[in-house]
Amino acid sequence: MGASELNKQAPNIFVWLLLLGMPFWLPAIGGYTELGTRAVVLGLAAMSLNFLLGYTGVLSFGHAAYFGLGAYGVGMTIRYLMPSTIVGILVGTLVGTLAAAIIGPLIIRLRGVYFAMVTIAFGQVFFFIAFRWNSVTGGDDGLSGWTRLPLDFGFASIDIQHNARAFYYFVLVVFALSVGAMAWLLRSPFGRTLIAIRENEQRARFLGIPVDQHIWISWVISCCFVSVAGALYALLNNFIDPRALYWSQSGDFVIMAVLGGMRSFWGPLIGAAIFVVLQDYLSSQTENWMSFVGLFFVLVVLFFPRGVLGVIRRKVTS
Amino acid sequence: MKSDRSTFGLDRRSIIKAAAAASITQIASPFVITARAADEVKIGLDNPLTGVYAALGKNELIGAQLALEQINAKGGILSRKVELLVEDSTSGDAGTAVQKAGKLIERDKVNFLVGNINSALAVAMAGVSYEKGVFHVVPGGHTDPVTGANCHWNVFRVCNTTQMEANAVAGTLIKSAGKKWYYLTPDYAFGHTLQAGLEKAAAKLGGTKLGGDLTPLGTTDFSSYLIKAQAANPEVIIFLQAGDDAVNALKQAVQFGLDKKFHLAGAQQELEVLLGLPPEARIGTWVFEWYWNQPNVPHVNEFVAEVRKKSGGHVPTARTWFGYASIWTCALAAQQAKSLEPAKMAKAMQGFKLPPEVSLMPDGAFYRASQNQLIPNLYVGSAQSKGSEPEDLFKVSEVVKGIDAAGSLEDTGCKMTWPA
Repeated sequence: MGASELNKQAPNIFVWLLLLGMPFWLPAIGGYTELGTRAVVLGLAAMSLNFLLGYTGVLSFGHAAYFGLGAYGVGMTIRYLMPSTIVGILVGTLVGTLAAAIIGPLIIRLRGVYFAMVTIAFGQVFFFIAFRWNSVTGGDDGLSGWTRLPLDFGFASIDIQHNARAFYYFVLVVFALSVGAMAWLLRSPFGRTLIAIRENEQRARFLGIPVDQHIWISWVISCCFVSVAGALYALLNNFIDPRALYWSQSGDFVIMAVLGGMRSFWGPLIGAAIFVVLQDYLSSQTENWMSFVGLFFVLVVLFFPRGVLGVIRRKVTS
Repeated sequence: MKSDRSTFGLDRRSIIKAAAAASITQIASPFVITARAADEVKIGLDNPLTGVYAALGKNELIGAQLALEQINAKGGILSRKVELLVEDSTSGDAGTAVQKAGKLIERDKVNFLVGNINSALAVAMAGVSYEKGVFHVVPGGHTDPVTGANCHWNVFRVCNTTQMEANAVAGTLIKSAGKKWYYLTPDYAFGHTLQAGLEKAAAKLGGTKLGGDLTPLGTTDFSSYLIKAQAANPEVIIFLQAGDDAVNALKQAVQFGLDKKFHLAGAQQELEVLLGLPPEARIGTWVFEWYWNQPNVPHVNEFVAEVRKKSGGHVPTARTWFGYASIWTCALAAQQAKSLEPAKMAKAMQGFKLPPEVSLMPDGAFYRASQNQLIPNLYVGSAQSKGSEPEDLFKVSEVVKGIDAAGSLEDTGCKMTWPA
């Protein structure tokens, strides 16, 4: 590995070291393991959204729906079908991905604000199903009466149910697989094509690229990983309620992506971490904490349009 | 710094960046020093401070703070100072409430968890506290399962179950208002069980249900529901909303003139709601869970005077008392068990009768064994637009004994399993 290659990899190595050591350094500065887990889970959601937003150039305001479907998928599987965490995650992801695949063809022809509005509309459909179908989803009360279960591999079992640190590393493994898959896709010719569409859709079309089809695939991939994040989120809380599907939750994902920097791969993770820590800390200090989060967001958008990571990167390169 | 700029020149950007950095450190630095003294006993209050139930939550907080001062003045819990950690659970977002409960238990290592007003959030929090084995007091979430089908050894509740409220008020409602009822019910755990409880209690007395609507929590416009209710032509329109929802629903019903045609009534009613209503909308038959104007009950006057000092002259409401009794329950449990071990404290509270200076009721109040439900008095009566004082807005006609309204232990469906 040459020096320049090492330089390129340095940010990745840094991020992974931070993530791997989280349960050790976070409590030392006043955090707690579950806060770290939350940041990683929401980071995955924001990075999935960014696959579509930052790399394909399509803004979705309905990702909470697929996040929520993943969450309800895992909760209802464990509660009604089969007491297994892994099967639950698979079912949740499958449900979210299928819903996205079906809705995709209906929306991929739209662009810009129209695309965003229609994704909100479809998202709200799922919200109202979860909100109103009391007998199955628990309605506004949320789906309780289930918990994540220890991982059982036959020869060994890992207690992610009671050991917060074990659960963090379980989440981190799923996060690594998902993020790795996304990075691999982005480096492939397919990923390059998506960026070409982002930069100049008309030109991509003239080159003979089936743009709508690519956007559909990008949308499904993005929703697939956001439902993985949703499944992990439900497992983190041992609980899920319809607000996880509400359109304002989609807005939070967009805020995280923009806050951290949507043109960089790790940006949304940083944004999610900032969002989670701000929310956790400020909401204990003042009941008006949402105004401060909002203020922070406004400041970032006004003065650092490339997000927090964009600023750091400019500092490093200049 | 680039050479074409003077060394001392500060451009706009760097000033803004410096300001932003300074403000971030303001926010970030206290985060680092949150490790709290280990020798204090900690009570974590995870309750609404924003949203539909903000007014109720703030009164519970005042009651909790008063109890905390009294406990500390008497030497604390097991001779250790007591600290109250307050988190805003929001009024309806169960995910946040669960997150905050986890934070209080995991990071702050609280000895007691208190919350929540919203029934759904209370159930969700009970799931967390049971999982982690923390002594948990629910001050004001009424839905039955908390001390019924979903009861846990570690979860105690101060406020009544919805079934108790329904049983206490159903007879008076039928007598004073009529037998044909139409329900407007908030669409979550509290509303569902309160309506089910009323239907059950009314059916025994010959009451019938003409129809009903479920209104989402946080509804501000009730007009479509009110028009439907009017069309059903019942004798009584039953309002089961609480907090700001109840204020909006009743205000609009009176604006529509429905009070001229039907009886507007319900089950649970609170002083916060009556205070929020215009005088002409302070009507109907209700049940209060505690009332401040009890001249003949010992210690009540002192309590009212103490609360007035803390609340800017306002009288305590049932919510203030819930908060007060919840924090005292924590202290009494530790004192009774001579330990902070959750299982020992929970055992010590089985059948425990609150001392009169805490219960503040004519017949006192006790935690029913094997259910962990407080059995207090209930106050049935009617709202009044004006009373002896500006905040005397309820006329108590009957004080019901909790045990008469509570039903049998078997009826509650509570089956507790204790940790080995």
